[in-house]
Amino acid sequence: MSAPATSSVSLWRERLLGTPFTAFVTVVLALAIAWVAVPLIRWALIDATFRGTTRADCTAGGACWVFIRARFGQFMYGFYPADQRWRPDLAGIAFVLGIASVVLAPQRLKLSLGLAMLIILPLLGIWLIGGGFGLRPVETRDWGGLMLTLFISIYASLIAIPLGILFALGRQSELRIVRLVSVIFIEFWRGVPIIAVIFLASLLLPLIMPGGIDIDRLARAVIGLGLVIAAYMAEAVRGGLQALPKGQREAATALGLTYWKATGLIVLPQALRISLPAMTNEFIALIKNTTLVLVVSILDLLGIAQASLADPNWVGMNMEAYAFSGAIYWLICFGLSRWSRSLEKRRRL
Amino acid sequence: MTSPLSLLNDKRVRDWIYQIALVVFLVALAVFFVRNASENMVKAGIASGFGFLWRTSGIEVPFVLTGYTQADNILGLFWVGVANTMLVSVIAVVLSTLLGFVIGVARLSSHWLLSAIAGAYIEFVRNIPLLFFVLFWYFGVIAALPQPRQSLSVFGVAFLNNRGLTIPLPDGLESLRVAGLLILACLVGYIAFALWGRRRQERTGRHAPTLRVGLVLLVAVPLLALTWAVLATRWDVPALRGFNYRGGFVVIPEFVALLAALVTYTAGFIAEIVRGGIQSVSHGQTEAGAALGLRPGQILRLVTIPQALRVMIPPMTNQYLNVLKNSSFGAAIAYPDLVSLFMGSALNNTGQAIEIIAMTLAVYLVIGLAVSALMNWYNARIALVTR
Repeated sequence: MSAPATSSVSLWRERLLGTPFTAFVTVVLALAIAWVAVPLIRWALIDATFRGTTRADCTAGGACWVFIRARFGQFMYGFYPADQRWRPDLAGIAFVLGIASVVLAPQRLKLSLGLAMLIILPLLGIWLIGGGFGLRPVETRDWGGLMLTLFISIYASLIAIPLGILFALGRQSELRIVRLVSVIFIEFWRGVPIIAVIFLASLLLPLIMPGGIDIDRLARAVIGLGLVIAAYMAEAVRGGLQALPKGQREAATALGLTYWKATGLIVLPQALRISLPAMTNEFIALIKNTTLVLVVSILDLLGIAQASLADPNWVGMNMEAYAFSGAIYWLICFGLSRWSRSLEKRRRL
Repeated sequence: MTSPLSLLNDKRVRDWIYQIALVVFLVALAVFFVRNASENMVKAGIASGFGFLWRTSGIEVPFVLTGYTQADNILGLFWVGVANTMLVSVIAVVLSTLLGFVIGVARLSSHWLLSAIAGAYIEFVRNIPLLFFVLFWYFGVIAALPQPRQSLSVFGVAFLNNRGLTIPLPDGLESLRVAGLLILACLVGYIAFALWGRRRQERTGRHAPTLRVGLVLLVAVPLLALTWAVLATRWDVPALRGFNYRGGFVVIPEFVALLAALVTYTAGFIAEIVRGGIQSVSHGQTEAGAALGLRPGQILRLVTIPQALRVMIPPMTNQYLNVLKNSSFGAAIAYPDLVSLFMGSALNNTGQAIEIIAMTLAVYLVIGLAVSALMNWYNARIALVTR
């Protein structure tokens, strides 16, 4: 009876119908899947409307993807002026090219090129998107959509990663006060809800600055998110630091390197490689938590989707808006998590 | 003869200089911020201090467990927020643990399709923002529920519609209280019996029927007691009058949506923890248990679960604290939790930003520290002792 599963057909038969009980479970599950999937596919594909321009074109009873088509620009850029949208696009391209140039550069140029890019790219991005110096200024109030989600995630991690590394080193330090300060910083930000931090940043930052200095609304949210994620990044980096054998630092010290040289040349390059998957996971969490800027009425991708539901010309588009924005989040986060998993596997080999 | 400069060659002296510099920098920063804040507050005409807590709040809350009314003071409002946050967090922790265990075990099932479905659920949920689920459940699902007149009936006693979930409310609490005390007594009795049984086994090697006693004391007696109490209590069952339900207790739709979002989201993470925990117990352990003559149930209870728990407890604690923190996502749909009531409404009314933010964050930090301390103690107790 139990013939070895040679062909794929018999393998699948064994997997799904092996014993009467297995077969029973398979049938029940298949029915459940059909119960969910059939209406879903009918709604999303068979009965859906893809062509048209207004709500009146959606007569088939299924999803009204016309809505997404009409709103696509807003989902991507928010209320950014349509004739200026090449600017965030260009910033994105510059970002990708900049990172690619660092990755592909010869080994001896990598460090200096990387540091240069780390300074140039963020400034270039702010200039291109925000304007000024010859470009038409666009207020942060008009930024939105997927562009803003990526903007906040990237700029918050520009705060979070250096700070996180610093505090992770501080937590491992021999100096007692440095260690204490680092532990308090990390545990404080890890212990409070991110939504409260975003409220806090938008209320307290203007309060603790000298009178007259006004911090942009978006900048406050980025700083708040950056501080929280720094604490989580610090824990991710700590994992790498702890996984590194102690002998590495001891050997570096024995060679006469100072603390910072030993850290920069020996410890961090190895530790960061170990913690890269964990740091990627924190970056995924950051992308997901970026949605919380909604509470201070900054409209990222999810915020724009939510705001678009209020349009009287497009009543009842809840499911379409959620399905589209959810799918984009899922694709980005799933892609990143797969990448982080492959990194981890490569390290284990 | 040591010149002051050569002191700098002493590592300990240098270390102290660094640390003093750090402290001076932090103190200077703090002074700078505090001075700016007090200047700005004077300009805005806000008096600092906690006196505002005893002012009348005047804020109406749609979901109150503490007996608070609009005429109470702001401190009362604070406790409403704490209670609502705790309520949704505790229920979400229990339900997401149950759902997470089911999904995690399904993921490990030898049935290919079942495992694949569980895997798809985990990958789906973990890669989408929690706020998405909150908005989706609130504006997508609850808002699409039928009007009260066409409510979905749950066994004819509870009713789900777009104004929330209406559940029956007991008229008197006497029988329920008796049942609760009985269950508590059973729990204490069981713990005492288990301790006695283990000690006797260590001394004499004789087995105590802990499992069977546990089934009676922890499952059978409580079930009977609860059934009796539910039957003996008079219930105020909601009934449709006009356009809405009267009687019973209305669980507001924001609570239902937030709870559903927290449970569906967190279950995906707990499932991964459960899977990891069970997989971390190597097969050799199970085989060794079998070789010693343990029965499958005993292997599960004495070999697999204790070792899996050891791996699972730290990440589980993290998840539970995440649930507590994530319950603040209710602010996005105006569920009256601590953040939205206190950091939102109360702050808007009084303008006491610093005091209110400090109190709100303190609640989360205190609970977080208490739970971590408890878990660390438990973890240390069950940790492997290696010699």
